[in-house]
Amino acid sequence: ADVTWKMTAAIGEGSFFYQNFMERFAKNVDVVTNGRVEIKPFGAGVLAPAFKAYEAVQDGIVEAGHSTPSYLVNQDPTNAIFASFPGGMSGEATLHWLYEGGGEKMLQEFRAKEMGLHTMVVGVGTSEIMAHSNVKIETVDDLKGVKYRTSGAFAAVLKEKFGGVPTVVPGNEIYTLLQRKGVDAIEWSTPGANISEGFHEVAPYIIMPGVHQPSFVWEVFVKQDTWKEMPDDLKALVSAAAKLTTYESFTYFGDKDIKAMQDLRKTKVQFVNMKPKDSEAIRAAGRNWAQEQADKMAKDGKDRMQKVLSDYLAYQAAWSENSGYLVRDSKD
Amino acid sequence: MRPVISMIDRMADFFAFLGKVAILLLIASMLYEVLARYLLNAPTLWAFDISYMLNGSIFLLGAAFALKEDAHVRIDFLSQLFPRRTQQWINGLLYLLVLLPIFVAFSWVSSSKAYKAFLTQEVESVSPWAPLVWPFYGLIALGLIAFSFQFLSEGLKFVLGLSHPGEGAQKELDDETGIANTVMGDSDK
Amino acid sequence: MSLMPLYMFGLLFVLVFAGLPVSFALITTAVGFGWLMFGDVVFLQLYGALLHTASNYLLAAIPLFIFMGAVLERSGIAKRLFWALQLWMGRMPGGLALSTIAMCAIFAAASGVVGAVEIVVGLMAIPAMTKAGYKNDLIAGTICAGGSLGTIIPPSVIVVVYASIAQLSIGTLFAASIIPGLLMVAFFVLYILVRSILKPEDAPVIKIEDNDMPIGEKLKTTALALFPPLILIVLVLGSLLAGAASATEAAAVGAAGTLVLAASFKELNLEMLKGTLIVTLKITAMIMLIVTGGTMFTSIFAVHGGGSMVRDMVGVIGFGDAGVIIFFLLVVFVAGFILDWVSIVLIFIPIFTPVINATSIDPVWFAMMVLVVIQTSYLTPPMAPSIFYLRAIAPKSMTYGHMYKGVLPFVVAQGLVLLVIILFPETTTWLPSLLVGL
Ligand code: NA
Ligand code: NA
Repeated sequence: ADVTWKMTAAIGEGSFFYQNFMERFAKNVDVVTNGRVEIKPFGAGVLAPAFKAYEAVQDGIVEAGHSTPSYLVNQDPTNAIFASFPGGMSGEATLHWLYEGGGEKMLQEFRAKEMGLHTMVVGVGTSEIMAHSNVKIETVDDLKGVKYRTSGAFAAVLKEKFGGVPTVVPGNEIYTLLQRKGVDAIEWSTPGANISEGFHEVAPYIIMPGVHQPSFVWEVFVKQDTWKEMPDDLKALVSAAAKLTTYESFTYFGDKDIKAMQDLRKTKVQFVNMKPKDSEAIRAAGRNWAQEQADKMAKDGKDRMQKVLSDYLAYQAAWSENSGYLVRDSKD
Repeated sequence: MRPVISMIDRMADFFAFLGKVAILLLIASMLYEVLARYLLNAPTLWAFDISYMLNGSIFLLGAAFALKEDAHVRIDFLSQLFPRRTQQWINGLLYLLVLLPIFVAFSWVSSSKAYKAFLTQEVESVSPWAPLVWPFYGLIALGLIAFSFQFLSEGLKFVLGLSHPGEGAQKELDDETGIANTVMGDSDK
Repeated sequence: MSLMPLYMFGLLFVLVFAGLPVSFALITTAVGFGWLMFGDVVFLQLYGALLHTASNYLLAAIPLFIFMGAVLERSGIAKRLFWALQLWMGRMPGGLALSTIAMCAIFAAASGVVGAVEIVVGLMAIPAMTKAGYKNDLIAGTICAGGSLGTIIPPSVIVVVYASIAQLSIGTLFAASIIPGLLMVAFFVLYILVRSILKPEDAPVIKIEDNDMPIGEKLKTTALALFPPLILIVLVLGSLLAGAASATEAAAVGAAGTLVLAASFKELNLEMLKGTLIVTLKITAMIMLIVTGGTMFTSIFAVHGGGSMVRDMVGVIGFGDAGVIIFFLLVVFVAGFILDWVSIVLIFIPIFTPVINATSIDPVWFAMMVLVVIQTSYLTPPMAPSIFYLRAIAPKSMTYGHMYKGVLPFVVAQGLVLLVIILFPETTTWLPSLLVGL
């Protein structure tokens, strides 16, 4: 290979996400560049801790990293807009915004300016399951006092707007604590990823739709110098491999999700759809949260978040007003 | 040389004192969380971060002390066959020429990470509590610096023949035996 | 294929056998081989491993479980318990040895690390058994085997470390290890009983002075002795298995509980608390440093292609899942001759886990097999912590020969437990599944 990148993940080797994103990207790069670029993927914790992928690339420990802007929200809430947030767009609309609406370009500017990284979107997700729950949640009133394993923007919204009790639970304790009712509800991931965790075995309700995390976005990043050193033809090929991986992994997710939902339907677990007006209340609260963060940033003289948010919300509004012509294969 | 050694050893004792306080704080904060979560139905936002930060602090505040007490597991059934002085030289040289530089490098890295976290006011990445990380990073750096100094002290002790690798472990057994003997002794009253 | 991963083990063993502490040997090897790959950036890279270990929430249970055990050792709880057990079991064949095993089992269930408990128990049991005319090898084997129960009977620090590495639930692993733990006790008891009945001269029945103690008083003594450990077992395991606390929280409840118990027996004082804190600090720093070194070692091992080397070896061996299990268990068993348990878990579990996840082997079942095999490392020389502890307290008349001969039947007993687990996976999966379900 002309170029070899060690790439560190924010997820464990062998996990569903790892196979769908990391390994698929490494394989696509190999195929598209005809072996001229080699990506060596490493699971979280092998070369760098899960939440330190960005830093590991900046420090020059590895050439490339794969992670999600979600992990940078505490440092800069602008990341929440790129990563998707409560009230954000569906995975389908997110794909359009990123690739056709200039979203990926804005993310690339942001990473280049603030972190000295060149980034490519690698992985856009479907909606998550809003909760595996021991209590039935149909309205926002039902969220009051619920001990809910979640984090990020939804944790803030849940606590401040709806009187829920966001709780931190380490990944490998979620199942046990849910089972023993140490927490009332948990959110984890998409149906396809959740089903193998077995949460439906221990909690009687699945709460939908996943407005708390309507989609999610992952990215592969390298130092700008690393990127500049690469021959131009390889840059184009690697970028193409990134886009290919995003599209392939998206449909793979969707396919697995629908099959998982089919399988879940055969179990004792009960599906609960939140009332549309209550789902809408959560989405509105999420957008308010984003606006508040943007206001705070603007007050400190940083107007990037407001620019990204305005662009995002405008794209979302146009999508929701005008997508009525689309055939949706849902029952209602 | 000896004043240097004894100064370093006193520093280890001081950090150990802080480490012992951290153990008690860990028990107290986790108990508080249990009460808050199960009795008051109001889990804290901070217990998760505080508990791992305290555990990390116990580890690093105790690192130099554990080294001073020679509490690290050694597998010495083979090396015990070497002459006493040889064992001391092997360990002394490894401490001074290999482990000391390694931990000086780690001290440097951890200090610069702590300093950078302080400058950028970096917060914990996924915690809803989002605490500043520099105090914890700073503690890690301090612990590693003390640990480096302790390698200097212990390495010198071995090379100068003032102590012997593995005898700390023996001392530990004697301590335990002593304590157990007291327990036994009580039975006579 | 690069042989780098093998050279790493080479350097590791040279350093370990030169008498350098295991954690330092792991760190030195990682830095050396990491340098070949990363140059001086290796320190930045390995600092990540250190930070990762220092900020692991699950590992916060370690100092708490150690603290619990340290308070128990220093209170009179041990002495009263041993006495009460003798009252009931003393007159059975091999009664003193049985009391010793029972005592160790109860202590194992009430604390996370047992190591030093062996000394507390040994100091009481060795003179008693010697006086009664027990054979030296039976005494040695009983004490060492009893001391090893702490790893398999929950709560146990090794399970905490294992769970954090293999990404398994601590609660599930604790639940899974209850039956293997009880089986282990049963097999130990069986061996002692059979031997004492077949060869009464190896374990003569003793005359207990308090045989005539009125039954009421006997019950009162027993209740008073059993109450504290039982309370702790209920507090910690109960809140973990039936209740709701996470392992770290349960450990904190247990730590506070032991303090309250010690205080209620008026055995808590500043000196004792200080001693407890010192031991906790030292052992925590020691274990955490091995975890750090192990994390560093496996990280560099992976960079040099260690993972694919292991997968290739597994492929070469063949025999599917059974081949994988047998190969991995053999590795752990052999490693147990020369490494301590923390290092074994730290070095091998990250290597095994991706392979296991890629097969249809139940990771909890596999974890239990590994834990049982690791338990043998306590007894198998040359690196046999149980025998080291025993050496420190044994009378001159008890030789290494007695000790090695004495632990052998107990290692066989551990092997039988392993066999039962392999043949009947339900022994490890049934209890966790019982706690599951609506
Ligand atoms: Na135990
Ligand atoms: Na051994």
